[in-house]
Amino acid sequence: MTDPTIDFSMVLASAVHDMKNSLGMLLNSLDELRNEHEHTLAGSNKFNMLQYEAERMHNDLVQLLGIYRLGEDNLSAHIDEHFVPDFLADHLARHTPLLEGLGIEYSIAADDINGFFDEDLLTGVLNNTINNAIRYTKSRIRLTAREQDGYLVIGVEDDGNGYPESMQHTGTLSFKALDFQSGSTSLGLFFASSVARLHSEGNRSGSIKLHNGGALDGGVFEIWLP
Amino acid sequence: MNQSDRKDAVNPFGKLHFLIVDDFENFRLSMRQMLRSCGADKIELVGHATPAIQYCTYNHVDVVLCDFNLGEGKNGQHILEELRHKKLLKRSALFLMVTAETSKEMVMGAREYQPDAYLTKPINRAMLEKRLGSLIGQRNALLPITREIDQENYPEAISQCLQAIPKQPRYKTWLMKTLGELYFIVGDMAHAQKVYDDVLNQRELSWASLGRCKVLLANRNFDQAVEGLKTLIERHPDYMEAYDLLAEGLEKQGKPVQAQQVLQKAAEHSPNALLRHKHLAELAGANQDIDTASQAWRQTVSLGTYSIHDNADHYLSLAQSLSDLSEGDLEEEGTERAAEALNVLSKMEKRFSDDETISLKSRIVQSRVHSGQGRQREAEKILASVENDIKELEEMPADLGLDYAKTLFRTGREPQAKELLGKLAARYDDNADVLQKIESLLDEPVGFRQKLEARGFNRDGIKAFEAGNLEEAVSAFDRALSIVPDHAALNLNLVQVLMKQFEQQPGNRALLTTCQQRLERLNHLPEQHRQYRRYQALIRKIKGLTA
Repeated sequence: MTDPTIDFSMVLASAVHDMKNSLGMLLNSLDELRNEHEHTLAGSNKFNMLQYEAERMHNDLVQLLGIYRLGEDNLSAHIDEHFVPDFLADHLARHTPLLEGLGIEYSIAADDINGFFDEDLLTGVLNNTINNAIRYTKSRIRLTAREQDGYLVIGVEDDGNGYPESMQHTGTLSFKALDFQSGSTSLGLFFASSVARLHSEGNRSGSIKLHNGGALDGGVFEIWLP
Repeated sequence: MNQSDRKDAVNPFGKLHFLIVDDFENFRLSMRQMLRSCGADKIELVGHATPAIQYCTYNHVDVVLCDFNLGEGKNGQHILEELRHKKLLKRSALFLMVTAETSKEMVMGAREYQPDAYLTKPINRAMLEKRLGSLIGQRNALLPITREIDQENYPEAISQCLQAIPKQPRYKTWLMKTLGELYFIVGDMAHAQKVYDDVLNQRELSWASLGRCKVLLANRNFDQAVEGLKTLIERHPDYMEAYDLLAEGLEKQGKPVQAQQVLQKAAEHSPNALLRHKHLAELAGANQDIDTASQAWRQTVSLGTYSIHDNADHYLSLAQSLSDLSEGDLEEEGTERAAEALNVLSKMEKRFSDDETISLKSRIVQSRVHSGQGRQREAEKILASVENDIKELEEMPADLGLDYAKTLFRTGREPQAKELLGKLAARYDDNADVLQKIESLLDEPVGFRQKLEARGFNRDGIKAFEAGNLEEAVSAFDRALSIVPDHAALNLNLVQVLMKQFEQQPGNRALLTTCQQRLERLNHLPEQHRQYRRYQALIRKIKGLTA
């Protein structure tokens, strides 16, 4: 039985919105807890896990909302000029308590360049990618930014085992590429790839690249923006 | 690592005054804790809008960290608008909106003032230090410019901007945006345009496109501006400022109906901008779309509850449009609207009781509402009290006088209404806007439904005349004139058709007699009336024919 008056995706979107805000409050409390009980919690695996998973859910929900708006044709890129090193440092800061808790070293290697992009959309991509790198890295994470072939290239590198052969690719992902059977839905990559595509200049548009190697000899995620 | 972010030897947080606004005590305390550990020292905490505004009135504040959602009452956006509008915050002061939402949903609501940055919850210390640190760095670097802007020394601000552009590539966007705005403010459109063109040559950025269209509008290049804004909206359907500007451009092109449609679309996208609803209401009213106008006034009034832009005129306009809609409609909808109008007026009297003329303005509309519902006794009673108070007025404001005349017409006091309008026209003979309103009221002293009906007949008449069908034209103009017998343009339209008929039937002198009667109706037409020259020309023509 179906009730035609129920717009399920709308219901889902507002529920997601609510959950996202709730998780935001929860993450806030976790940060406060960590500050108040610095000595006992700093090295606690359970606490770090709690924060990591909450962070991951929060990112997923942010992306889900983004993709919903994409489907509604309600998402457009508000491109402005930003000083890239500041942008990366601002966003890495959000993750430093967890990174320090997990004993992961982090660094930024960014040229002093300005880039053109939508700050909010890129924030979503960056949070998700950093979160992902935290999951797969052994001990180090590195954010990079450079200009290459007329594109702004922002990268997130780790020293983990790298991406499996099947995931390494270049270009854009289509919605059909999402595989809900395998457990790893690549929702984050789909979102990143959609955000990249929303950034266009003339007849060039953005894309993502996944490969292995980099300065840390692990996984390398790159988003190329014209 | 890039070296430019190293902390200054002097702690940048220590010298500044912070204000934290949040309704949750826990959040206020944890924010203070975080700020202190960043090196801040002068921190004030408040839980609501009123103490926040109070504090900024009497104290110097450099950085406001304000939660958007403050429970009942004013929200963060209301506070921002009030602080900036009353100039309680310097241009150099930072206003940060703290929200649980992604920023865009909120940006869409705002029309004039936007915060310097959004901080999205969850916020941790490291994030706050980085973000606030770079904003403070930017504030300090741009201080020589913002200081001049605060003192309205725009030429100096411009030259400071020009000096900073090569030195501060990090703040290029801010500098170019500000430079464009400053050139616009001082009226140097050529340089403003050059700033936007320079940016656009490098990259298609929406703020620069908007700025360019603003310059085009100011230079009266309406077509180009409208075209540019349409393209901009196509690319960025959620860029609300572009809709506002497009509506303005369409109005200037003389397309008020299209302008209204654009604003209606924008109001759907962003239901929270009071000034946008107000603009829509005014446009719809001018377009005689009273349904849309009353709906938009209703929104304007409701959004005004906590807004610095709240104004008694919004209530009055809502009541006036409801009065128009309910006039002569004794069905359920009509009586409901009449009741709503009276309710709105009573709220207005309470909310704006400081205004001495508010009760008078209210009663003028009340009387009309009662009269439109067939309650003549109430209408007369209120009108009697109005007449008394009007006599005591030293000088009658134009709007009040016009509205009073409208009520006099509706309650069957035509000679009194005309006399009043005559006096007003003499007093405001240098105010084209008021004169035009007086003319319109004299032409069409009837309810808006009859007005629309008469205008419809007028259009039919013109169409028939253009098609060469004179009989039909005469009968259409006659029907229109039976509704608004004193309408100047309509009378002259009829005279013109009758004269054309006379050319075809030179023996029919009765046509000329009708013409003379029609022209006599207009013998009080004042010289400054838009139809005066046409009237004079037709009189001469008739004289020639009857001599």
